[in-house]
Amino acid sequence: MTGSVRWQDAALGVIGTGSLFVLWELASRLGFVSPNVFPAPTTAIIGTLRTVPLLDILGHVGTSLLRIIWGFALGVAAGTVIGIASGWYRAFGVLTKPVIELLRPIPPLAWIPMAIIWFGLGEPSKVFVIFLGAFFPIVTSAYKGMTGIDPALLRAAQTMGLRGPKLLFRVAVPAAMPDLATGIRIGWGLSFGVLVAAELIAADQGMGFMIMNARQLGQVGVIVFGIILIGVMNLITDYFIGAVIRRRIGRWHAV
Amino acid sequence: MRNSRIIGGLTLIFLLVLWQLAVTWGFLKPFQFPPPSRIGGAVVELATKGFPNNQHIWTHVGVTLWRIIQGYVLAITVAIPIGLLIGTVAVLDKLTLPIITFGRSVATLSLLPLVIIWFGTGELTKVLLIAYGCFWAMLSNVIAGVKYVDPVMIRAARTLDTGRLRMFVKVVVPATLPRMFVGARMALGVGFMVIVGAEMIGTIQGLGALIMEARTFYRSDITIVGMLFIGILGFSISTGLSWLETVLLPWNKGLEEVRR
Amino acid sequence: MMADTAASTGSSNPATAKIDVRGVSKRYATDDANTPPVLDDIDLTIGDNEFVTLVGRSGCGKTTLLNIIGGLVEPSHGDISVNGRLVTGPGEGKGMVFQQHALFPWLTALHNVGFGCRNNGVSAAESDRISRQLIELVGLQGFEDKYPTELSGGMQQRVAIARALATDPEILLMDEPFGALDELTRLEMQDELLRVWSAHKKTVVFVTHSISEALVLSDRIILLAARPGRIRREFIVPFPRPRQRTDPQMIALYDEIWRNLA
Repeated sequence: MTGSVRWQDAALGVIGTGSLFVLWELASRLGFVSPNVFPAPTTAIIGTLRTVPLLDILGHVGTSLLRIIWGFALGVAAGTVIGIASGWYRAFGVLTKPVIELLRPIPPLAWIPMAIIWFGLGEPSKVFVIFLGAFFPIVTSAYKGMTGIDPALLRAAQTMGLRGPKLLFRVAVPAAMPDLATGIRIGWGLSFGVLVAAELIAADQGMGFMIMNARQLGQVGVIVFGIILIGVMNLITDYFIGAVIRRRIGRWHAV
Repeated sequence: MRNSRIIGGLTLIFLLVLWQLAVTWGFLKPFQFPPPSRIGGAVVELATKGFPNNQHIWTHVGVTLWRIIQGYVLAITVAIPIGLLIGTVAVLDKLTLPIITFGRSVATLSLLPLVIIWFGTGELTKVLLIAYGCFWAMLSNVIAGVKYVDPVMIRAARTLDTGRLRMFVKVVVPATLPRMFVGARMALGVGFMVIVGAEMIGTIQGLGALIMEARTFYRSDITIVGMLFIGILGFSISTGLSWLETVLLPWNKGLEEVRR
Repeated sequence: MMADTAASTGSSNPATAKIDVRGVSKRYATDDANTPPVLDDIDLTIGDNEFVTLVGRSGCGKTTLLNIIGGLVEPSHGDISVNGRLVTGPGEGKGMVFQQHALFPWLTALHNVGFGCRNNGVSAAESDRISRQLIELVGLQGFEDKYPTELSGGMQQRVAIARALATDPEILLMDEPFGALDELTRLEMQDELLRVWSAHKKTVVFVTHSISEALVLSDRIILLAARPGRIRREFIVPFPRPRQRTDPQMIALYDEIWRNLA
């Protein structure tokens, strides 16, 4: 793609997005929708920054990020190890597969009550639910990656004398990377959704709490601001993870 | 293959027995880990007496299912024509790309407080939230499906003097169907995720509500029954969808990769 | 002089035997009892530095035989020895090249070639030095840092050959290595292989279903029959290399092999 075409595409995107915002702004300003129910974007953002101290907002963002990083990191670690081990060691896979298949269809949010019973109302219960959001897509894609390795690669490595753990870590794991990366990306998206929901239902800090609290206070502007903030955070972090993945495996595997 | 299934089943039974014994011998607290025997009892209770306020399990399942179906069908019927349009008209695709990317990134449940303000805590709120989540998953797949129709197929159809409309109906749409099923499947996953969150607020009917209510009554056994039913429901619908796909698209075998 | 079924020719003299296949049969667990075995009582002796091709129709078990020699597949009966020692598994001085290049997609050409060396504990510097030499030998200098997906089919197969040579195995086993290449690249690769082989003398067992490929490359052609997989005939190719593909003697031998296949 040439530079000018790229610029053209980007410009069209900006025009499309811009006109949507202008339309929304006008609808609210001209009174087609009540600003009390659906404030214009400028009103929401400026209003929020006036009423809610910036430090509070940053505090909510920080709390949320900390939770999701913990839950996600645990999910990546457990999902990768269990998925890879299940795919590689047949006997282990036979044992883990039915348990995973049984629990996988249960949406992570449905675990919230049990998480509270097991871990109390504090941070661990939220981290646990976020962990589940990341764990299942990662464990299944790691397993799929391991069982789908081109047998020719393993055979080629065997003819060069690799076996056992060396064959696993130097050939099988790298070969499963693309699938694992897909799972990690999906896992991030899911745990992000879970994070917000968990904070809506049971939290006294975080971005989800911020908007739920604003509802009780009747601050529609803060809610709209919060929704956009959460969306933007999701977009940025997902882009970041995508970039890391592309850097790691993008040259040898089309992402 | 069959052997591993039997071993898998035995593993599950073994774990359940272990769990039961661990509670009986006092290693696990029955409130934190309600044993299988109690969960079985809770199923019977839910089927006969009902919980909470005599709401039978079938009411919960039915209500949840109905909400999902409404939101899901709404999302799909809106997303397919819009997706076909955006996918076909290149300028439209470029204009909407950032909007769609952002729309997908918005956490569906973060809209809950806003939608409550608009429509209250009733049915409409839940249906709309499900519809929102499903919509983007479906839309982006329909667009991608149209955009990546094999150009050789289009060229082949051109050589057969196919008109524009005919080309669209007879070539583009069928070629997009496999990708639509991918979207439908992803949308379903999103729907199940959203429904649980949506039902945890402002209702006592539905499986999400059942799970949450049970906790406030210290009935963890009922919570687990609710979780199992959501799992079974989700699993059955997605199995039904794959079955539907093999019936409707018997020619499609090559999309295994994207599907999961 | 052109065709010889006897096993007592000079190049397959058991005294200099490199590979000894004795009474090898193979039947897969999934086969039912009535189907004839993939390989049935194969005896074959391959001499040191000999270039042998296994030729036959699809399903005649030539790849299975190669995999058994390579230690990747276990025979149902019989055994294989290399240098008089029983083969118990892959590796151990047996390099292999596959039809689909089987390069590691996450490694550059250079690191693919050096993979076996690094695994044997060779230092990174030394392994890179060996790899660069081999990459030059197969004519790929300048492509060291490309990933397999960035190379053409012929280049990928060149890397695969260099990779198999890197650990300096005594035996090179090649399973239709040029089968997926277009005709022109294929002819080019045949010449290339002979050049490499003359630089690094090895015992080569080469599977192909192209008679002309076998004629250009090998000292001896083993014709396999399918189900049951048996050795139908052996042909010595006595012509000096480089061979002319259009040489009337070559064509005569081609016809004879073809008659035996049909």
